Amino acid sequence: MNLALFVSDLRFNQETLDRVTASNLGVFLVENGVYHAVLKEGGSPSAVLEKEGATVYVLNEDLETRGFSGDEVDDRAKVISMSDLVDLIMNDYEKLAWL
Amino acid sequence: MGILTIGTFASLVGSMNLDFVVKLAATALDKGHEVNLWLSGNSTVLVNKDQKEFKDYSHPGVMLPELIDKGLKVVVCEACAMARGVPKEKAIDGVTYTSMDWYLAYGAKGDRLLHIGRE
Repeated sequence: MNLALFVSDLRFNQETLDRVTASNLGVFLVENGVYHAVLKEGGSPSAVLEKEGATVYVLNEDLETRGFSGDEVDDRAKVISMSDLVDLIMNDYEKLAWL
Repeated sequence: MGILTIGTFASLVGSMNLDFVVKLAATALDKGHEVNLWLSGNSTVLVNKDQKEFKDYSHPGVMLPELIDKGLKVVVCEACAMARGVPKEKAIDGVTYTSMDWYLAYGAKGDRLLHIGRE
């Protein structure tokens, strides 16, 4: 299954993400979820970035709204626009879920 | 092109989820997709035509008339809206009031379904 999983907040149910399996998993960081791509806690980057087998995307518009730029983003996350996001969900991921 | 159905049970005025949903719908429409937007729970206040814009509260509802003209289908849970004092007469033009079965049907019929729950 090709699954796009939207993470929309900094605090969310990490266990759900840990337990999710999909043949092709895209994790989309949107809204306050973008903080996972730029912040460290206790010196460690977010566990979201370490989800095995996942491609992690971060929405540029929500990054900029919160005062971050693309070059502050962890290398493991791809910065995308809303236009890219639409293309990805309509072409590459047939199931969509929201955390 | 495809059919994207978005269902949201978001919060009230100032909801980030509604911001995201309206921007996503606008972008998908611009790219030629058909977009259905189902509003339930507190997100039904989005269609209140008398809702003012406040400096501190985002109100993406002001974008809806233009998006409806572009083909966005906005459908509201009648019971949820009535329970929140937003009867059809108080809604912006072009919005449909109906019940949950519409959402289930359009969710099944479309190519993609994004369901956004509580906030």
